[in-house]
Amino acid sequence: MGVLDADGECFTAIRDELVKLESQGVNGTLLATHLCDLASSLVSSTYGLNTFFVLISAYLVFAMQIGFAMLCAGSVRAKNTMNIMLTNVLDAAAGALSYYLVGYGFAYGKDGNKFIGSGSFAMHDFKSDVDYRNWIFQWAFAAASAGIASGSIAERTQFTAYLVYSTFLTGFVYPVVSHWVWSPYGWLTALDPEKEHLFKSGMVDFAGSGVVHMVGGIAGFWGAFLEGPRLGRFDVRGRKQEIKGHSGTLIVLGSFLLWFGWYGFNPGSQVAIADQVSAIIVARCAITTTLCGAAAAVTTLFAKKLLVAHWSVADVCNGLLGGFAAITAGCAFVEPWAAVLLGFLAAWTLIGMNALMEKFQYDDPLEAFQLHGGCGLLGVLFVGLLGKEDYVEQVFSRGNFGGLFYTGSGRLLAAQLVGAIVIILWTSLLMGICFALLKAFNLLRISQEDEIAGLDLTRHGGSNYPGDDHHPAKLYPPTALGQAADSNAKNVYSSKV
Amino acid sequence: MACNSTLEAALAAVASAAKLDVNQSAVLTDFVCGYDGRIGDAVTGTNAMFLLFSAYLVFAMQAGFGMLCAGSVRAKNALNIMLTNVMDAAAGAISFFVFGFAFAFGGGAESNAFIGDYNFAQSHFSADDALANYGMWMFQWAFAAAAAGITSGSIAERTQFTGYLAYSTFLTGFVYPVIAHWVWAPSGWISAFNTGNMFLDVGMVDFAGSGVVHMTGGIAGFMGAWIEGPRLGRFDAKGRTQEMKGHSGTLVVLGTFLLWFGWYGFNPGSLTAIVPADGVLKHAIVARAAVTTTLSGGAAALTTLFARRWMTGHWNVTDVCNGLLGGFAAVTAGCSVIEPWAAILLGFLAAWTLIGMNRLAERIKYDDPLEAFQLHGGCGLLGVVFVGLLAKKSFLMEAYGKVEGTPYGLFYGGGGKLLAAQLIGAICIAAWTAVTMGVLFYALQMFGLLRITQEEEAAGLDLTAHGNSSYVFDDGKGGQDAKLLPPDAFQAKAPVKQGTERV
Repeated sequence: MGVLDADGECFTAIRDELVKLESQGVNGTLLATHLCDLASSLVSSTYGLNTFFVLISAYLVFAMQIGFAMLCAGSVRAKNTMNIMLTNVLDAAAGALSYYLVGYGFAYGKDGNKFIGSGSFAMHDFKSDVDYRNWIFQWAFAAASAGIASGSIAERTQFTAYLVYSTFLTGFVYPVVSHWVWSPYGWLTALDPEKEHLFKSGMVDFAGSGVVHMVGGIAGFWGAFLEGPRLGRFDVRGRKQEIKGHSGTLIVLGSFLLWFGWYGFNPGSQVAIADQVSAIIVARCAITTTLCGAAAAVTTLFAKKLLVAHWSVADVCNGLLGGFAAITAGCAFVEPWAAVLLGFLAAWTLIGMNALMEKFQYDDPLEAFQLHGGCGLLGVLFVGLLGKEDYVEQVFSRGNFGGLFYTGSGRLLAAQLVGAIVIILWTSLLMGICFALLKAFNLLRISQEDEIAGLDLTRHGGSNYPGDDHHPAKLYPPTALGQAADSNAKNVYSSKV
Repeated sequence: MACNSTLEAALAAVASAAKLDVNQSAVLTDFVCGYDGRIGDAVTGTNAMFLLFSAYLVFAMQAGFGMLCAGSVRAKNALNIMLTNVMDAAAGAISFFVFGFAFAFGGGAESNAFIGDYNFAQSHFSADDALANYGMWMFQWAFAAAAAGITSGSIAERTQFTGYLAYSTFLTGFVYPVIAHWVWAPSGWISAFNTGNMFLDVGMVDFAGSGVVHMTGGIAGFMGAWIEGPRLGRFDAKGRTQEMKGHSGTLVVLGTFLLWFGWYGFNPGSLTAIVPADGVLKHAIVARAAVTTTLSGGAAALTTLFARRWMTGHWNVTDVCNGLLGGFAAVTAGCSVIEPWAAILLGFLAAWTLIGMNRLAERIKYDDPLEAFQLHGGCGLLGVVFVGLLAKKSFLMEAYGKVEGTPYGLFYGGGGKLLAAQLIGAICIAAWTAVTMGVLFYALQMFGLLRITQEEEAAGLDLTAHGNSSYVFDDGKGGQDAKLLPPDAFQAKAPVKQGTERV
C-alpha cells in the first residue's frame, strides 16, 4: 500500500518521480496512475473482505439469539414457553434500540475517559463503513449478554422487570465493562501497543468470557437470588426437586445453533481477516473453540454417567456450552491441547457450581449463572495461566506478557484476576440495585397463582401449544388452577415441539 | 486497469531508462502485470463469496418461513404448509431456471422495457456477465422463492395442493419476474438502473424488494385467499371473528428469528457486490443496510409489544413476531438510502400499519392465516412510499450511482418525483399482480382445483392429503395412526424380549 497516503490519495511524490522520467521517454503519468489504481483496488478489496467478514460474524452471533431462545424454551416448562421466548426476542429488539441510543457510545465513543466512553450517541457521527459494521457486531454481543441473564430469572419474573433489566444491562452496565476491556481507551484493556497497560499487561479477553458471559451470568444471579427459587424447586425440607424442561428436541436444537453461532462470536472477534496474521488467528480460534466445547461435552457425558447412571442429553448440552463460555476468553491465545484441557475443567466447574448453588438453595432454570458466570471466570483465569506468549504477541502486537506457565510471570494472571473481580463487583452492584429496586416496587416476581398457572396463560394471552382440535385449551381462572393445572397438565400442555 | 500494450510499453521505457537488461525488464513487467491479475482475483473472489453467502442467507429464510407457517396453523395442517414451503423453493427453482430468470433479467440492456427475452434455461450464462451468471441466478432465485412463499401463507389450511403448485409455478416463472424486470433490470421501464431512459429522472427505488417481493407476494396471497374465502369457523354465523390460534409459539419464534437472520442476506446482500470493480471502497452501503434493517425490525417489535399490551392487556408473542417481520418488510425498500433514525421511525409506522391492516381485514371478512397480505402487502407498500419521503441524497448517490440533480426524498427537499415514481411503481405492481394472479386463482376455482372440501378441512390436510400427521407421539399404539388401522392391529402377538443392551 506504499503509494497511497492515509486518505487513499496517491502520493504525489511517487507520481512526481515517475513524471520526471518523461524526459527519458517514459510514460510516467500512466505508470503512476496504474500503480495508484492497483493500490486502490487492493485497499478496496481488503476493506470489502474485512467488512464482509465482520458482517457475517455479526449475523452468526445474532443466530445465537435463535439458539438461546430454543434452549430456553426447551429448558422451561411448557406453560412458560411463550414468556421466555418473548424475552429473547426483546433482548435483541429492545437491545438494538438502547444500544443505538447510548450503549455503543458508552462502550466505544471516542470522547470519553478510561472508565466510560462518550460520543456516537444515536450514531450521530457515523460516517464510514467501519462505524456501521462495528455497531452491528457489538450490538449482537450486547444482546447475547442480556439473553444470558434472562435464563436465570425464567418462569417467575414479571415482564416489566425483564424490560427494565434488559434495557439497563444493554444500555449501560454491559457497555461500560466492554469499554474497560475492549476500547483502546479503557483502563483494563490490553489493546493499543503504545499506551501503558495494567501491570504492563492488561486484561486479555478475546471474545468475552468476562465481558459477556460473566456480566450476563452475574446479572442473572442477582435477579434469581433476590426473587428466590421457583415454587416447588426445593421442598419443605429444602431438598432439591427436579423441574425438567419440556422439550429435549428444543434444547439440542438450541445448543447446536449456539455452537454454530459461536463461530462468529469467537473467531469473528478478530474483526479482520484480510491479512496473513488475522487469517491465522481466526482459524486458530475456530479450532480451539471446537475442541474446548467438544472436550467439555464428552467429559460431562461420562461424569454424569458416573454421577447419575445415565447418559443425560440436557446435561451434555449444558456442558458443551460451558466449554464454549470458557474458551471465549482465550480462543486466540491457547494451544489446541490446552483448549481440550480447558474443556475438561469447564465440565467439572459446571458440575461443581451446580452442586454448590444447590447447597444455597439457589434456583436457575438455565444454570445460566453456574455456566456463564462459573465457566466464564474459569476461562478468564485460564488465559493467565496458559496464554501462549507468541500468540498473545501476535494478537496485540507487543510482547513480554503471557500465561504463567509459559513466561513464569504472574502479571497477566494478576490482570485477569483484577479484571474478573472488578467485573463481579460492578455488575453485582448495579444489577443488584436494579433488581432490588424492582423487588421493592413489587415489579420483580409474579404471584404464586400466576406461577402455578404459568406465565403464558396469565400474561401472554394463551398457551404456547393451544392444542390440536381434540384438546382445545381453555383459559382457567387463577383460583381454579391449583388442581386443574396439575391433573390436566398432560392433556392441555402436551408437548408438540 | 488491465496490463495492456500501452502499459507494457511504458514499463519497457522505464526499463530502458533505468538501463535494465532483458531479464530484469521481464521481471518488472511480470511483477506489475501479475499484481493486476492477483488483485482482480481477490476482488472477484470477495464479491463471489459475498453474493453466494447472501443467497444462502436468503435461502435460510425458507426454513424460517416454513417454521413460522407451521407454528401459525393448526397442528392438523402443519405438514401441508411445510410441504408448500419446500415446493416453493424446489418447484420455484425449476420454473425460475427455465423461464423466470430470463423474463426478469434476460438480455441485459438490450431487452425491452416490459419483459426480458433472453437466457432461458441459463443458455448463455457466463462468468463475465454482470447479470447472467450463476451467482446472480442463485441470489435472484432465492428472492423469487421468497415471494412465492409469502403467498402460501394467505391460502393456508384450505387449499388443494394442485392449486399451490399451479400458483407457485406461475408466480415464480412469470408474474414475479416481470415485476423484477421493470424495477431491477437495466432496461426495465421504471428501473432505477435504466440510465438510457430514466423514469421521472430517478426510477423506482426498491433496494431489496418491499414492492417487488413483498407487495407481489402479499397481493397474490390476497387474491387467492379472497377468492377461496375464509377458513371454516373463522367468522361465525353472525360474522364475528373467531380466533384461530396456531399450534406452536415455539415454531413461530424459531421461524421469526431465522427470517431475521436471513434478512441480513436479503437486505445488505442486495448490493450484490461488496467491492466495486473500480475505485476505492468509500461507501458504507452494506453495513448501513444491516444496521437500518436491525433498527426497523427492533422498533417495530417494541412498538407492537406495547401497542398490543395496551389493546389486549397482555404481552403477545406471535403479534410481536409479526410486527417484527412487518418492520423488516417495510425497511427492505430503503435500507440503503435512509438514515438510522428514519429506520426507527419506519419500524414504528410499520407496527401500526400492520395493526391497522389487520383491523381492516376483519372488517371485510378477509381471512389470512399468516397475516401475509396485511404484513407483506401493507408494510411493503409503506416501505415503498417511505423511500419517496425520506431517501437521503448522499445515500442515493452512493447506492445507485445517481448524480447531482437527481430527485431524492421529499422531506429532505428533493422534490416530488421520487415519491411519484414510488407511487406509480406500487400501483403498477399491485395492478399487474392482482390481475394475473386473480385470473389464475379464479380459473383454478372454476375448475374446482382451488379449495378443499368441508370434510377435508375439518379433518385437516395432513391426514386427507398427505396421509400422515406431523406429530406422532404414541409410536403407533394410539393417536391418529390408530384411526387408520383396525382396532386390534396393535395387540401384542408375542411377549417382547427383554433388552440385552446394558447401555
